[in-house]
Amino acid sequence: MSAYALNKMLRDINQSAQKRQSYFADAAAFAEAYDLDGSERAAFLSFDVGAMYRMGAHGLILRPFTLLRQMPEADYLRAIRS
Amino acid sequence: MPIVFACATSHAPGITAWSDVAAPEQLAKVKSGFASLREALRAARPERLLLLTSEHWANFFLDHIGAFCLGRAEHYEGPVEPWLKIEPRKIPGDPHLAARLLEHCYANGFELSHAHEMRFDHGTMVPLSFLNPTMDIPIVPILFNTLAPPRARPERCVLLGRVLRAALDRAPERIAIIATGGLSHDPGERNHGYIDSEFDRRFLSLMAEANLADLSRYTDEELLSAGAGTLELLAWLCLAGIMDARRPQVALYEPVPQWATGIGMISYGALAG
Repeated sequence: MSAYALNKMLRDINQSAQKRQSYFADAAAFAEAYDLDGSERAAFLSFDVGAMYRMGAHGLILRPFTLLRQMPEADYLRAIRS
Repeated sequence: MPIVFACATSHAPGITAWSDVAAPEQLAKVKSGFASLREALRAARPERLLLLTSEHWANFFLDHIGAFCLGRAEHYEGPVEPWLKIEPRKIPGDPHLAARLLEHCYANGFELSHAHEMRFDHGTMVPLSFLNPTMDIPIVPILFNTLAPPRARPERCVLLGRVLRAALDRAPERIAIIATGGLSHDPGERNHGYIDSEFDRRFLSLMAEANLADLSRYTDEELLSAGAGTLELLAWLCLAGIMDARRPQVALYEPVPQWATGIGMISYGALAG
């Protein structure tokens, strides 16, 4: 798992109600606090699940994160398998 | 006091979060499996639960990973997942039993990480919600790193169980053990939905025979080949080490595609009067 900062950020959203709130209020401002590279930030802000997976987001971090966005399982699997 | 009861069960989040999507007859079998374990647990009148479970990034992250982590908190909170359909609650711990187990492990070759703070996720909360719904029995949890490699080898988990056994036998409390996780599944990954029933049946039959020699021969790669979540069976292997020659009954095996997991349960039955 290489995308350390990306995983750290997604995990924070999964784990902390307060961070979850900040993310849903203003995703771009929330992402400022993490050391993401340009492509990670772009994938995160456009909710490009396939790109985040290919960059190294861990399935047990990425899937719970997408559940917070109510992404259906079939859509999630299509995205990570694309 | 000898161990009064022991069992192992899968903990797939779908069991509570999306229970209704499973085939009704499979859901009924899983519920009835949990009911039989709950009755056996209750009949054993445990005063403490030793919970062997796996970590899903609720406590560990890559900033600090250990192979095993024993909880020594006064209480725990869970679940961390807002979508699990289990009400958040506080569950009592037992810092004294935790300290005794830790000291025993350190004196016998296992330097476990330990934590005064730990949060429970579906790995603990799903089984507990069925087996001790009031969640009033104090728990000592041991979390296994089943995520970030390198991980403890299966053989080491069996050996950790053997070491724990002596301390559990000496404890004055009536202790029941619950191991959770597995069987084959690849949650959130590209093979999500893949269930390796052949792997699962062989694993369950080795558990049922208490075949510690062959259980110890599993490799990280073999477990991983049945799906990333299959590594959660490290907790079952530790239980096998604790129970030694004692043979459990397989209480359930149902591969449930909608929960993307081979659901298994074993029970060691009543162990003490």
